[in-house]
Amino acid sequence: MKAVEIKNLTVRLNGRDVLNNLFLSLDEGRFLGVVGPNGGGKTTLLKAILGLIKPSSGEILVFGKSPEEVLKSGRLFGYLPQVSKVAQDFPIRVIDIVMMGRYGRIGMLRWPNEEDRRKALEYLKVMGIEDLKYAPFSELSGGQQQRASIARALAGEPKILMLDEPNTGIDVIGQGDFYHLLKGLQKRFDVTILMASHDIGTIPAYVDEIACLNYTFHYQGDPVGALNEKVLNDLFGKDVDLLHHTDICEKCERLRRA
Amino acid sequence: MPEIFSSIFMQKALLVGIIISLISGIVSVFVVLRKMSFIGAGISHAAFGGVAIGFFTGINPVITAILYSAATALGIEIVSRKGKVSEDASIGIFFASSMALGIVLISLSREYTVDLYGYLFGNILAITAGEVQLSIAVAVIVIGLILLFLKEIYMITYNEEIARVSGIPVRAVNTMFLIILAVSIVISMKIVGIVLVSALLVIPGATAKLFAKNLNFMIAASCGVAVLSTVAGLLISYELDIAPGGSIVLTSTAIFLTALLLKRKK
Repeated sequence: MKAVEIKNLTVRLNGRDVLNNLFLSLDEGRFLGVVGPNGGGKTTLLKAILGLIKPSSGEILVFGKSPEEVLKSGRLFGYLPQVSKVAQDFPIRVIDIVMMGRYGRIGMLRWPNEEDRRKALEYLKVMGIEDLKYAPFSELSGGQQQRASIARALAGEPKILMLDEPNTGIDVIGQGDFYHLLKGLQKRFDVTILMASHDIGTIPAYVDEIACLNYTFHYQGDPVGALNEKVLNDLFGKDVDLLHHTDICEKCERLRRA
Repeated sequence: MPEIFSSIFMQKALLVGIIISLISGIVSVFVVLRKMSFIGAGISHAAFGGVAIGFFTGINPVITAILYSAATALGIEIVSRKGKVSEDASIGIFFASSMALGIVLISLSREYTVDLYGYLFGNILAITAGEVQLSIAVAVIVIGLILLFLKEIYMITYNEEIARVSGIPVRAVNTMFLIILAVSIVISMKIVGIVLVSALLVIPGATAKLFAKNLNFMIAASCGVAVLSTVAGLLISYELDIAPGGSIVLTSTAIFLTALLLKRKK
């Protein structure tokens, strides 16, 4: 089944087209990386699929349903917004964050039961941070916070994980491990993953498909083909060739190791 | 029993003070976490317009103030959500125009001798038996609603978009919270007055947040700070014969500063 299908999507925000004429077809269980420069519309695309932003035209279907319908049920998506959108000094422990991921399933006027607690602990374990369960979220490192947040997103047992720049706050050395972990989650839970990132150098080695987005899609499909000069120029412009060169080299290195 | 606790008016003042402190203590947690202290100040000043409508029409000013403040809270939300005016500008407009409406209505009112001072600066020692019952009823409703929807309010406070994606009716819960805020403000007005009421909605939560590691702790600490400020403030006002409203708010400020110093030392 198609996890996400997008036809002719245009999104206009504050009088400006942010996304133009997008088509996308993503099979269930695949790992899609949406890459492109900041301001290229990655977050907007994720939010439109989640039903948080209304498209100006075009159609989005998530497992055959409209985003509004999906939003009401609250069960299909596990969503990780950009780090900057979550207050860092919020008084909350790691276990409470993960339990929050189950609120949509628990429903209003009901309280977490034994099953919910078991699941929350299970996902903490999956993310390798069960030792930190009573630690205040604000005292965790950037990487640990991201793991806790992904445990939250998984705790609702979603069919699709939507990750917006999940590598922010994780140092360069840890990033390969981090993507590897995501790939493991995809296989283990048979979950579809849609990840936005500007890290075009690293993620092609880990995702099944890539979509290069800057206002519109400049490339879609096999991740290896995305790394040609034309696509990179379309995405980022010609001024940043040197940076791309090193990125590509790093990526080749990773591909060779993989 | 010391003389201070034997007088009926003091007993009533302490009882109402504690009940209202529990309301403002729990509401304060979310006012602070959601950075709503300016909207709190705006609604409390708007309540003055509501009180004046009560004086002008002869309806109980607490009732008109609750309705008017709730309408103002929703008005601010709607105007800023439509996106043409920023939230702080919209608060500023509602704030000033409601005060102006109040001043005009009071000047038109023939009952010029009404206890305006009591609404502006609080008059906890003149609480009536009916007001004691009203504050108990409001406490049960406000605290009850917050506890019933604690999960949802907490999650929306953490991140509205995550809450929406989880299927939580964010707008309905936010509207409920704004009405709760307006009602809490009007009921707290009785003890410290319109001018100082926003302090009760900010200081307990801000103090609790300094040490809170989770929500339950923060709620308990915030209610504790609010009750302690009110009781100590009342006793100090009695001993020194100073205005209770000012005494309560200064006591809570002293508790906040002490907590801040303790936190710095750590």
